Amino acid sequence: MTETGLTWPKNFNEVPKAAFTRKDIYAEEIKRIFFGQEWHPVAHESELPNPGDFKTFRLAGVPLLIARDIEGLVRVFYNACSHRGNQLETAVMGNKTEFECPYHRWLFDSKGDLVGCPNHRDFLPGFDKSDYPLAQPRFDSFYGLIFVTLSAETETLTEFLGDSQNTLRELLGGDGRLKLLGYQKVRYDSNWKSYTDNDGYHAPLLHQAFKMLNWQGGKGRQFAATKHVHICFESALSVVSGPTVLKDASLIAFKGQDPSVGSRIVSLFPTFVSTKHLDVINLRFATPIDEETVEVHYAYFAHQDDDEDMVSHRLRQSSNLLGPCGLISMEDASVFHRIHIGNHTPGNAIFQKGVHDQSKLESEFLQNDESGNLPRWEYYRSVMGFERAEA
Amino acid sequence: MTQTDTAIEAALDALLLADSSALDGKDMEGWLANYSEEDEASYICRAAENSENGLALGFMYDDCRSRLEDRVTFVNDIWVDTFQDYRTRHFVQRVAYQRADASTISMRSNFSVFMTPTDSGITQVLAAGQYLDTIRLEKAGALKLLSRRAELDTSVLPRYLVYPI
Repeated sequence: MTETGLTWPKNFNEVPKAAFTRKDIYAEEIKRIFFGQEWHPVAHESELPNPGDFKTFRLAGVPLLIARDIEGLVRVFYNACSHRGNQLETAVMGNKTEFECPYHRWLFDSKGDLVGCPNHRDFLPGFDKSDYPLAQPRFDSFYGLIFVTLSAETETLTEFLGDSQNTLRELLGGDGRLKLLGYQKVRYDSNWKSYTDNDGYHAPLLHQAFKMLNWQGGKGRQFAATKHVHICFESALSVVSGPTVLKDASLIAFKGQDPSVGSRIVSLFPTFVSTKHLDVINLRFATPIDEETVEVHYAYFAHQDDDEDMVSHRLRQSSNLLGPCGLISMEDASVFHRIHIGNHTPGNAIFQKGVHDQSKLESEFLQNDESGNLPRWEYYRSVMGFERAEA
Repeated sequence: MTQTDTAIEAALDALLLADSSALDGKDMEGWLANYSEEDEASYICRAAENSENGLALGFMYDDCRSRLEDRVTFVNDIWVDTFQDYRTRHFVQRVAYQRADASTISMRSNFSVFMTPTDSGITQVLAAGQYLDTIRLEKAGALKLLSRRAELDTSVLPRYLVYPI
């Protein structure tokens, strides 16, 4: 246990700003959270629909190779040669049935088995290729969403997800049968926790589009799932009732079937955010880069049952609505940095909306409360080992 | 022919520079004025990584004149005062062009865009890539963009985008 000397506030609605800015705390987070007992989504199987398809991703610096073998099974490997550890695949995505390390030409098949290595007669006596497959972290999947954990101690994925499973399933098209539309990748100059601490309070206020379109949120709820405090929002869609400020209203059109399940957000601890809003299905694979940078890959999907018109509609809506340049959400992207700058001041960030008693943790939240983030901060405090101050 | 080609090239370069000038001046109406008024006028900003993998999704996907007009509304009316602003500086260079038919020219240009956030004052590269343009020769001899695809080498942007690139 590394001593960081950070005292956590007595009040449950306060979070010390230093938690966002100190390099030593960031280093400890990598150990306890990113290499700790958490599951991290790194891909969806529909990003690699064909045998031989692969995708690479770095999770807290750890290079991963997610690949579908020639028989259709998806695996996660460390993206490193089992020989001298060279980065094996440098492309971000592609199709290969073999992966060759250029350094000494060690060759691996799509299952990760070593199938060739030049001059092996001069290797250590008793050398056996079967002892040198590509190493794998623990991985599992939920309706095609592929999770990795870097700890042998992590509970099962089912236990990790707990009550968020149904909301996440609905977000994944109900059956996980998605079709990749593409990516928007971006770095934000903020701590990863500023990015994930997005709350229910800001949406109708920061996002001017909601006001200008007189677009009230539909009826809904937010709840926290499991000890990891995954935050789930379930809302019905409402209709835009304000004056038409957009000439192309298709950007905010709903062409799906059931507006009562039209809006879902699932934020899994520590960094995964996913949304289904109108006809946008968006999975955000995020990784911290350092204490003031987070990289987010916004991946967008259609459903495999969509006809051509629906795919085209989803493509057009996904590109312009909810990403780092989106009509509704560009302001989030901007505000993350301002949060980060402001956190370089002394004291605590103080949550108010939905807080009824600052001496205890609430468990019921309305859709637009910011207090819904507080149980997660309590989990963060406990994982990091910060002692709460006494009266 | 030489004189005619030179005149076309000068007009192409003028259009290329007019677009950069409008963007760097945050003049969204001026930006829009560079586009044809045809319904099919479009601007798409997309990572080359997506294009190379057959994925059509863009950072901005304004595939009709209405969406171009809405882009002006986003910047001038909807997003105003909600974002931390930044200056851009476009460096553009025409690389190739070809007359496609009597009223259309295809043009390819390289761009790099530097950005300077107002709070830090530190200049960094925002994005680099190429413009793939279809240009309409209009009746009065003016050139207008019928379509522009900004194809970004920069697949991971260093920040959100407010303005087209």
